[in-house]
Amino acid sequence: MVLLSLALLMRNRGPDRYWKHQELLKHARHFRGRKNRCYSLAIRTVRRAWRYATIGRHLKKRDMRQLWITRIAAGAGEHGLKYSQFITSLLKCQVDLNRKVLADLAITEPKTFKCLAALAERRRQEGFHALLNDKEPPGIFSRIVQQR
Amino acid sequence: MTGRATASRFLQSVLHNGLGRYVCQLSRITLAFSKGSQTSRGVRDYVENHVVDFAKKHQGTVVYISPRRCHVPKVTAEYLNGGTKVVALNSKSAEEIAQVITLMANQSGLDVVRIRKPFHTEHPSIQGLWQPFVNKRSQLSPRIAEWKGAQ
Repeated sequence: MVLLSLALLMRNRGPDRYWKHQELLKHARHFRGRKNRCYSLAIRTVRRAWRYATIGRHLKKRDMRQLWITRIAAGAGEHGLKYSQFITSLLKCQVDLNRKVLADLAITEPKTFKCLAALAERRRQEGFHALLNDKEPPGIFSRIVQQR
Repeated sequence: MTGRATASRFLQSVLHNGLGRYVCQLSRITLAFSKGSQTSRGVRDYVENHVVDFAKKHQGTVVYISPRRCHVPKVTAEYLNGGTKVVALNSKSAEEIAQVITLMANQSGLDVVRIRKPFHTEHPSIQGLWQPFVNKRSQLSPRIAEWKGAQ
């Protein structure tokens, strides 16, 4: 009779557990507490972090656009316009600057932004005159430039 | 892969390269290969036919050819800012090796990691950064009007 149980219990589990753990722990080194050192704690937190990173990529786009809109609204408010009026008037003048650029202009180029606000205000007034059918010459900024 | 856990850097050029004359950032390139093994066949082909053209095209780069006993043929690139890059040329054809070496010649020695912003500027504001009193009337303006009227 051959006793096989002891021989079957001894298994070679693999030579590179250390390195596989290190590959994961390198993503946890900036965490706080034992989860930056201990594999079992780190694996859970790292998976969480990766999930949040994936979701955050979609949220970042939304958050950035919201931030730009807030900044444009603040800049336009300084010149007596609301955000919606500013944006729609610029669109009607075929000024196709996006919100990122407008927000950057409001911060770094305040005089340019003031000119844009003045343009929007002028176009708005021309729109009102056109609606009320005043006996005035047609607006300069209301003329739509033909795209070639 | 989170942004905090992986390395990243800002967009930059080494010492404003390209502002004046463009300087090739590759200073030294070392080809280590074996004289007899099958994996070095492409490298040997490259060394016989293409390496001299490369050296003539890049006059500022020193090319070292080092045949030695090795299993894995490698190319080591050293750059002017101290960075090094090692690429294994295992079983690559001469054309693929030429592509790899051209890529290394066109790179600077900066790390190939995520670039945080695709732009960089030393002077972001020309008209002056916004400050709370930029769009407000000056307290002195009635006195300026008075002074202009007096003129």
